[in-house]
Amino acid sequence: MLQEFGNVGLLLIVALVFPLLALGTAFLLRPRDPGVEKSLPYECGVDTVGTTWVQFRASYFLYALVFVAFDVETVFLYLWAIKFQELGTFAFVEMFIFLSILLVGLGYAWKKGALEWK
Amino acid sequence: MNIALLTSEIAVLVLGLLIIIFDVLIPRQETHRSLGYIAACGVLAILVHSMTQYGAAATVYQGLFVVDNLALFFKQLFLAATFLTLLFSVEYVEKWIQNSGEFYALLLFALLGMMVMASANDLITMFIGMELMAIVFYALVGFELRSKKSSEAGMKYLMLGAASSAIMLYGMSWVYGFTGSLVLSQIAVKATASPAMLLGMGLMLAGLCFKLSIVPFHMWAPDVYEGAPTPITAMLAMGSKAAAFAVLIRVFLIAFSDLQEYWATIVSLLAAASMIVGIVVAIWQTNIKRMLAYSSIAQAGYILSGLLAGNVAGVKGMLFYAVLYMFATAGAFAVSTAVKNHNGSDEIEGFSGLAQKSPLLAVVMTISLLSMAGLPPMAGFVGKLYLFTAIADKGYLWLVILGFVMSMISVYYYMLVVKTMYSKARDQQEFVVRGSLQVVAVISLLASLFIGIYPGPLAKLANFAAQALW
Repeated sequence: MLQEFGNVGLLLIVALVFPLLALGTAFLLRPRDPGVEKSLPYECGVDTVGTTWVQFRASYFLYALVFVAFDVETVFLYLWAIKFQELGTFAFVEMFIFLSILLVGLGYAWKKGALEWK
Repeated sequence: MNIALLTSEIAVLVLGLLIIIFDVLIPRQETHRSLGYIAACGVLAILVHSMTQYGAAATVYQGLFVVDNLALFFKQLFLAATFLTLLFSVEYVEKWIQNSGEFYALLLFALLGMMVMASANDLITMFIGMELMAIVFYALVGFELRSKKSSEAGMKYLMLGAASSAIMLYGMSWVYGFTGSLVLSQIAVKATASPAMLLGMGLMLAGLCFKLSIVPFHMWAPDVYEGAPTPITAMLAMGSKAAAFAVLIRVFLIAFSDLQEYWATIVSLLAAASMIVGIVVAIWQTNIKRMLAYSSIAQAGYILSGLLAGNVAGVKGMLFYAVLYMFATAGAFAVSTAVKNHNGSDEIEGFSGLAQKSPLLAVVMTISLLSMAGLPPMAGFVGKLYLFTAIADKGYLWLVILGFVMSMISVYYYMLVVKTMYSKARDQQEFVVRGSLQVVAVISLLASLFIGIYPGPLAKLANFAAQALW
């Protein structure tokens, strides 16, 4: 019993030590050659224009959310389409119920102006 | 597969979608009050319909979704809680909240999540139900866009809730890893008292205790309860907690029933800590919602103690107490909502003179608070009696004595509110109460008294539901 608890404890210790070890080794091995260029914010290797501490509009998140909802929908649709012939009418109806639930959501977002960039 | 077993859930979903569609159809400047009443009527109809489902014991979706008396009992509790909340929130929503249609629809989706939790027979279904409920509540807690406190509460709830979900999922992954199954009855067969299992069980208990706001996982409750719109605070106390109890009962009495000797000690300590902290800290609160938050921490401790019995009597006590607490909470929060609508404040000071302005609401508040304190002849007394006799039989006499002493102390701070209500009024403004709120107040009053004086029918129903587990 105690030994089994020891196994869990060992895993815990490894989990704690591993990141420290990885970062520590990198810290010890890396060359120290600081420069202005290196401390700049990294944006795909392109030089940044203006200040980098800007607020992003909340509208971004709305787009992201709507995108994720329909992205996931596509995943389900894909599997459904592959097995369509075996599943039969019941699955056909079911999928349309699923789609209409999502459509109500999209219609609502549209009508309330969530898709307009203000 | 029998779709008829899912009618209640489907009806709630359709009702929610209808509310969304109606919300778009009604012109922006018009009042959206009717949506609240439509939602309330729909929920009431579903509640009446669900009465016909008693006696079924079947599973849908290859055993992942179970419809038995226990699930049905909890579903009716959630439906009743949502019905009462919808009725007393209409005026509040009109006054303090924009996007009122969304508010009602989201409330229904939270209800759907709770109903799924009550029926979940495996860990993933349970988690999906719980997340559906939780994500909707994150949005609803921060729904009072003009109030900074509300946004802060929403943010806090989101952060801490996400952390607790992660802890719970981590626990589930351990349990799955060592039993090879997510279905509760399968876990029960393969569960051995290995350290990894106990770790998984402990993590799941922690995640559930967060939702139940059991000490020491209660830190979020006072801030979130205070900041959230009052009807949502009521829903968190009545619905979210009862849903977590539904899951807790199923997981710990089915999946982990053989491990009871391991979890019993921890659960008894958690229950005791909740009773003590909830009741002692509540004494110093000056805000009614904060006070009720601490009181709900203590009440969760009382209900949790019923789990220790691990038999029909214990679960019956938990179910009985959850129902009477639901009615008492609905009454207390309906009155708090009326007072907030009147003077815009949540402070207990704001209740002064309520007895002169609206004697009915003052009586409802008094009865609700005394029912929570457990004074006879209110329902709380009978509920505590059932819980305490069930666990005393199993040798937890120390917990019974502690619970008894603590409920005596709780009378003190509940009486402070009563004293304020029966003191002299500070202002002479007329107190207007909408009819629907009065209906909730009267239902809560009658239920608290009826269950207290004549507990037979509800006790029988709770007993009937509890037997579904064995």
